Amino acid sequence: MKLTGIQVVWIIATAELVMEVWLRISPAIEIAEQDAWMSMLLAGLIGIVLTFLAVRVSMLHPGQTLVKYSQKLLGKGFGRAIVLPYFAAWYMLSIDVLRSFADFIHLILLDQTPVWLIELLMVALMAYITFAGGITSIGRFCEIAGPVTVITMFFTFILNAGNVDWSQLTPVFNDIGWKQVAKASVAPGSFFGETFMLLSVIAFMNKPEKAMSKSMIGLFITIVGVFAATSMVLLVFGSHLSAGFKFPYFMIVRSISILNFIQNVDIFVIYIWIFGVFAKLSLYLFLTSYEMSNWFNVKDWRKMILFGAPLIFISAIMVPNQTWIVMFQKLWQDAIIPFCGIGVPLLLWILSAARKKSVQA
Amino acid sequence: MRRAGKLLLALLLVVPLTACWNLEEPDEQAFVLGSGLDYTKQGEVMLSSQIVVPSGIGSSQDGGGSQKPDSFRMMKANGKNVYDAVENLQKQVSRALFFGHRQTIIIGHRMAVHGIGSFMDIFIRNPQAELRSSIFVVKNAEAKDIFTITPIFDPIITPTLSREIRSMGLKPYYFRNFLAESMSETKLPLVPLISLNEMHKYVYAGGAILNKDDDLKLIGFLNAKEALYANWILGNLNRLAITALVKKGDGNVSVKLQTLNHKVHVKPSGSQINVDVHLTGKGTIVENNSNLDPTNRMDLMTIQKALSEATQTSIVEMVNKVQKRYKADIFAFGESFHRQQPVQWKTLRTGWKEAFPLLHITVKVDIQCKDPGQSSSSLMKSFQKPG
Repeated sequence: MKLTGIQVVWIIATAELVMEVWLRISPAIEIAEQDAWMSMLLAGLIGIVLTFLAVRVSMLHPGQTLVKYSQKLLGKGFGRAIVLPYFAAWYMLSIDVLRSFADFIHLILLDQTPVWLIELLMVALMAYITFAGGITSIGRFCEIAGPVTVITMFFTFILNAGNVDWSQLTPVFNDIGWKQVAKASVAPGSFFGETFMLLSVIAFMNKPEKAMSKSMIGLFITIVGVFAATSMVLLVFGSHLSAGFKFPYFMIVRSISILNFIQNVDIFVIYIWIFGVFAKLSLYLFLTSYEMSNWFNVKDWRKMILFGAPLIFISAIMVPNQTWIVMFQKLWQDAIIPFCGIGVPLLLWILSAARKKSVQA
Repeated sequence: MRRAGKLLLALLLVVPLTACWNLEEPDEQAFVLGSGLDYTKQGEVMLSSQIVVPSGIGSSQDGGGSQKPDSFRMMKANGKNVYDAVENLQKQVSRALFFGHRQTIIIGHRMAVHGIGSFMDIFIRNPQAELRSSIFVVKNAEAKDIFTITPIFDPIITPTLSREIRSMGLKPYYFRNFLAESMSETKLPLVPLISLNEMHKYVYAGGAILNKDDDLKLIGFLNAKEALYANWILGNLNRLAITALVKKGDGNVSVKLQTLNHKVHVKPSGSQINVDVHLTGKGTIVENNSNLDPTNRMDLMTIQKALSEATQTSIVEMVNKVQKRYKADIFAFGESFHRQQPVQWKTLRTGWKEAFPLLHITVKVDIQCKDPGQSSSSLMKSFQKPG
């Protein structure tokens, strides 16, 4: 299984845009008001640092995924123990995304279809693509879905040009201080930090020496997309109204009305979003399955899908309500990112550097 | 065998693709084009809806004189809140009510007086087309009275109302604007107002000011002229016709302004806050019943001065009425202050409601006639006895 550089770019962009634009805009506006666009740029900065860390570490171990080189560096027992939180994080993320997605589709589109059926269809599809081609087919899919997502978003911005009111952004940086802007950037920054999945993805690149530049391009596309979406939401609705919406980007798409003729284009965006959710879920199903086979020393990683897919499906059904989803996002920000995104990669980096030195000496 | 299995699977996948899933076919739906909210004497919400009758809309060619059914039907139902009324309305309609194409929301007079704030939640929680709908308040009538009007040009009244706004030279006022204003810090919404005339047709009647700090209750009305002026200050006006008496020329002159500009300057000095409103308009003279010749520079200056002064006086009157009587910042002066004096705003922010009636507002109107039209002095002269 091999990935090209372009595929890595689009895997990052597709998987991250979906969550950031869908879930993180209105919480940021709630805190930072009309300066939320600054928070998004700051969040991007956090993302760049975290991504740099993850890519740097995995580039030191070409051709090896996280579970392999953590055992190499830390020994069999501790190396295995330290990656357990990654499995937890990735499974919980998948459960969270699957449930949020199914709830949304149920609310907006298929109100007569039970939520579990929507989830089942998605799980069946992602199990299929993961089984059929693993990371290669996911990469190929992202190569198509990613650009389509970006282009669609671009068009929704253009079609909203008539609704833009520039004064909504003023006064710039006055009502709230740096503190608030920084506070608002933590949550989206932690979502950008999702790139710690690259610890396991870079190993599949056919030209691993290009990993850094390709990851950064992917992240850059995401940051620009999130920044543009946040600014556009502010420009169309202003800070007070957009903080009141749960999915403000979806709402600006709904307010498109050109000559009373181009309306209700939100349906396109929904379909594009399904692509993104599908790509993201498949990616994590693959990562968890592949890494778990490394963990158990099982040769055929495909067998692990039989465990992962039902687990994600059943857990997503079991999620009782929205409160759990909000709690998970808090957990992601306060525990998972500090541990999986910063702590472990940093430790591994130091260890690999020390090892290299001792080998040279 | 394996191939047959795969083929069967593919065929199974086709079933959901035919979209026969949620069964939302057009002939199962009742399309609601407009909704009205009224408040009954018993304290209930009355929801009136204009529902399209598809068989009544078809092109005129195939009709050939045969009797066509009406293109719409007005239905109404009461309820404890808006959705309760929707459910009660559904009992009278055999097809599922569909609000995704709603174009207009109309607030009845009594509802506006009662305050619509407590009924707004459904429009944000469950927005189908609300962000693109227009919103109106009806003066001295109920919303349902508007929906029964058969308009002149369109088969249905709802699109006519938005066109009416455009024909008045106003920018469209969407529900989304209304929501943003209702949720803003200081600005009060000025919602387009319609009323019924003696012929039981609608007429543009100006604007209704709703109190965003008190359940969106009606504060007062502006008449058509005043509402246009207020929208000029807000920058929501594309064109305006002005007619004024030119004393020196012993007659009146009309000018059609095509380019309208507005500038609001907020200047705090000491404890007093000055607000300078500068309005400029450029346009064409369309009617000249005075004995002045607009191609003559001096005469043109006289005409422009008279027009500017007359307009200025009316606008100052309107601003005074809003400021002293209604005490409602519909001009977004608070937002201008916020943008122009962001640092000082922090101390004033909470007290803006009290500060607004004390503002020292000056209005300056500057009208320029760029084009005297296709004749020079008034034709009136040729019909008068030479003397």
